[in-house]
Amino acid sequence: MNKLDEPTVAEQNVNFRQIGKPRTRTDAPGKVFGKTPYAGDYVMPDMLHARVLRAKVPSARMTRLDVSKARALPGVASVLTFRDLKIGTVATDIPGQTGFKRRATDQQILVDELVRYQGEPIAIVAAETVEIAQHALSLIEVDLEPVPGVYNVFDAQKPDSPKVFGTDNLVASYKVRKGDVEVGFAAADVIVENTFTTQYIEHAFLEPEVGLGWEDEQGVINIRSSTQAVETFRYIADAMGLPHSKVRIRGALVGGGFGGKCDVTVELYIALLTKATGRPVRLGFTREDSFYGHGKRHPFIITHKTGFTRDGKITASKIDITSESGPYAFMSPYVLMYATEAGPGPYLVDHVHIDSRSIATNNMYTSAFRGFGATQACIAYEQQMDEAAKVLGIDRIELRRRNLLKTGDAIATGFKVQSAVWTEECMDRAMAALGEKPKDKGPIKYGHGLAAYQQGYGRMIWLHDTAEGWVGVEMDGTVLVRSGMTDIGAGQTSSLAQIAGELLGIDMMDITVYNSDSSTTPLAGTSSASRGLYMSGNAVRLAAEAVRDRLAARAAQHFGSTADDVDFANAQVFLKSDPRKTMPFKELVATCASEGIHRAELAIFRAPFGDWIDPETGQGQVHPDYTYGAHAVQVAVDTETGEVTILKSIGAHDIGQAVNMAAVEGQIEGGVAQGHGYALSEELIYKDGCLVTPSLSEYLCPTSMDSPRIESIVLESRSGLGPFGAKGIGEPGHTPAAPAVANAVADAIGTRVFDFPLTPEKIARAVRTARKAG
Amino acid sequence: MIAKAKTANDVAPLGGGTNLVVEMRASGVGPATLVSVGQLAGLRGITIADGTVTIGAATTVSDILRDPRMKQVAAVLVESADVFAGQMIRNTATVAGNICCGSPAADLVPPLLALGASVTLRSGSGERTVPLDGYFTGYKTSVRKPDELLTAISWPVPTAKSASRFYKLGRRRGDAITMVGVSVFVSLKDGVCDTVRIALGAVGPCVMRSKKAEAVMQGKAPSADLIAKAAQAATAESTPIDDIRASGEYRKEQVQVLVQRLLTQSLESLS
Ligand SMILES: Cc1cc2nc3c(=O)[nH]c(=O)nc-3n(C[C@H](O)[C@H](O)[C@H](O)COP(=O)(O)OP(=O)(O)OC[C@H]3O[C@@H](n4cnc5c(N)ncnc54)[C@H](O)[C@@H]3O)c2cc1C
Repeated sequence: MNKLDEPTVAEQNVNFRQIGKPRTRTDAPGKVFGKTPYAGDYVMPDMLHARVLRAKVPSARMTRLDVSKARALPGVASVLTFRDLKIGTVATDIPGQTGFKRRATDQQILVDELVRYQGEPIAIVAAETVEIAQHALSLIEVDLEPVPGVYNVFDAQKPDSPKVFGTDNLVASYKVRKGDVEVGFAAADVIVENTFTTQYIEHAFLEPEVGLGWEDEQGVINIRSSTQAVETFRYIADAMGLPHSKVRIRGALVGGGFGGKCDVTVELYIALLTKATGRPVRLGFTREDSFYGHGKRHPFIITHKTGFTRDGKITASKIDITSESGPYAFMSPYVLMYATEAGPGPYLVDHVHIDSRSIATNNMYTSAFRGFGATQACIAYEQQMDEAAKVLGIDRIELRRRNLLKTGDAIATGFKVQSAVWTEECMDRAMAALGEKPKDKGPIKYGHGLAAYQQGYGRMIWLHDTAEGWVGVEMDGTVLVRSGMTDIGAGQTSSLAQIAGELLGIDMMDITVYNSDSSTTPLAGTSSASRGLYMSGNAVRLAAEAVRDRLAARAAQHFGSTADDVDFANAQVFLKSDPRKTMPFKELVATCASEGIHRAELAIFRAPFGDWIDPETGQGQVHPDYTYGAHAVQVAVDTETGEVTILKSIGAHDIGQAVNMAAVEGQIEGGVAQGHGYALSEELIYKDGCLVTPSLSEYLCPTSMDSPRIESIVLESRSGLGPFGAKGIGEPGHTPAAPAVANAVADAIGTRVFDFPLTPEKIARAVRTARKAG
Repeated sequence: MIAKAKTANDVAPLGGGTNLVVEMRASGVGPATLVSVGQLAGLRGITIADGTVTIGAATTVSDILRDPRMKQVAAVLVESADVFAGQMIRNTATVAGNICCGSPAADLVPPLLALGASVTLRSGSGERTVPLDGYFTGYKTSVRKPDELLTAISWPVPTAKSASRFYKLGRRRGDAITMVGVSVFVSLKDGVCDTVRIALGAVGPCVMRSKKAEAVMQGKAPSADLIAKAAQAATAESTPIDDIRASGEYRKEQVQVLVQRLLTQSLESLS
């Protein structure tokens, strides 16, 4: 059965003027012509420069800390240690709008007694120049007495292991019990069991963390920083004992985030030093600081035991998941939740049994990273599907086809998906685009691989996610949008302009967007969780619709018709029933202004709210909705050297509705390139807690020379919860890329490397081992 | 200034700076004085005369790629330049810098060794020419004295009945530090191997020639069996370390694979 002939855009009577087109983004000209200031470009008169002193060892007791020499150095304005802090800790939770906070997840701001990871900050310095600040760090005397640490999740779970977190190193754990796996396994003809592991990886954004802070005339600490989350102002205020209204984060356009700028990074150090000195303070992380200074992607160990009937129906899925949290919680519990929810993948499985846990160690702490645990889950379930296909002797695509979830089916947590589930269409499209596999040439073998996925978008519903947005029309007919949304390079602000523009009939390029200011733009939540467009886009849509409704009512009066007959396009207002009846938008606005008709609206959008899933069974709703799709890859593998060349890489996703097609493709392409690196070359290696790959010459992101042309196939079911039926794509584009590469490599070499990344050495060894085994 | 230098810590020549500046930033220390020679027009350029190719010390990797004559007189060097770093680095990295940094993973050195290149060293007291084979004395050490400037690299134009190959095995395509670099040169005379040079990178303290592997081939009629034996000899002669890029064991295996592959390809191209 091939679904290629069926329509891949939902048949609906919609006719957009700007939405869905591949438009130049509103942020593009400023970036291309070098006019856009990034957070690091801002300077102020009398500004100080800050540096951070970090622990060189991962597990130690601080027995002495003497900063007197550093303080005495001419040009040093302030040196702060834990002794100078009013409150020693800062929250590591999602800086959301709900105000709830998990217990026991705070992190010490500066080392008080124990160092728990390499790079943990001990002191912060502000000085007249960066060089003086750097010199001051070298004058700080610290004695660190090593204490036994724990550097892998196995040791960490032993009763006699050193305890890094709580009394048992357990940061979080969950269970899913759907149906009865024993019944499922009893019905199985074949049981396939495998363990897959993934590595620590780095966000490696182009722009390391940076910010500039100052105290204003109202006593508000302002911080201009490179962040995905202006909402961190609350945690910063809490950590300093200040009212929330006295800390203001102003974002700037961000040079990449990928989840790594969701947590508090430079902001708190800047705020503390600004308060201590009364002067503006700038702190820019070096690349090394960035390696040591923010949380990484969680390594996972995932074991799948899956029962199948002989004809390939999944009868039971038992999954065991362990993630490494490092010494602090940060997003680990939530990331684990995503991995657990996504456990069996986009397949209908009646009997599911999942146990998952996140374990503390003295390796680097882990937090948000594009895909948020659902990615690691996909790496496991999609490799498992290929391994199962091999055992069953069923075509890999066909095996998936026989098990795919459909709209209305219950996922692992029992929740029944209401939106379109077009995994199959995406799979077929991606495979068709891949074409024929080339013939092997000596040691060069070709492989095809595919991965399908399910990725939630939006926040977990018990976080009661909301976003606000403001739209207003100036007296001359120009349009302003205000949204707290940060723009991390994915085109967030541009899409808001496009949405308001579509609804008010004004070209997106003529709309001004103010964003990411925690005090003056309505808060919209973080740019994370593939929620940006879904949440802030809906808020702006609601606000624009309200304004449009009021303007339309007045226009109807003018034309002698009804409001629903009024339409807006090209800065004109006209009647749908008689398009010759038109008036300039500007004129209508002027009329409204003189009559006191409100030309602005502040709207709030609420995602579905709900309770936690059942802690004993894991049953309930986790996400508002899900994105589905598939990624296909063609590789050439040199079976002697183990080198992999990605020849084709094709992502097919049902994203509901594209707002800006060019931005959607950009998200898919970027996510895929990151997935290629994840599969093949990127790895942060910690040896007894110490990072041995702390630079971009050792931490290997793919370069342009490693990247093939990436193809995006965008399907539009218009069934999502975002504006105009959009679904999230920020993370989904990334999620299936890495497992697709892994499956293609396995297809090429006829055996599998089970632990990421698939380095030439591991591949060559796997080939040799398989040959020896015959 | 260079002529007065007593140690490399006093004064050092600066080529493109793609090695030295990176090292200085990482270690926080460096020579007291740097003398930029990378921009000297007199040191940059490629000349081919009297059967000899001479390239100036300040010639960049991109210069090698842009000169169409290089494909004829040093195809193997072009092969290496083509996989060297990335475009930006190629535009500024110099050939002398690649030799003088002394890295065992330097990518231009195996092809230059395969071509039988010599280097010209000049000091206040004169000039000498030394073969590149024997130039390196150990890990980042060489026969070059601190007061000597490397001014030129030269090699004989290869004969028609010769072929050479280079392969860089890296963890990725662009800007990769080589895990194993192999270059071979073979010329045939009356059906037997005449000149054989096999150079190995990143499998010892410095880039080296595998004289034992060369000896296996020399004067013999080439065969698959002979090639396999030469590859074995090269493997035995290599002494790679374990590092974050690869294990020594893998590197040894790959010497075998690559020497065998490159010799086979070279000889096939001659038949
Ligand atoms: C991102 C990146 C990627 C890289 N990729 C590669 C790669 O793929 N392959 C590779 O081999 N290398 C690579 N390198 C390393 C480096 O680029 C090369 O070794 C390059 O050839 C060095 O040349 P340079 O002119 O920049 O040398 P410099 O850094 O200027 O100098 C290097 C050393 O040589 C000495 N020196 C320079 N010129 C002379 C002279 N005329 N006489 C005497 N001594 C001299 C200097 O004093 C110094 O000790 C890479 C570097 C970077 C930063």
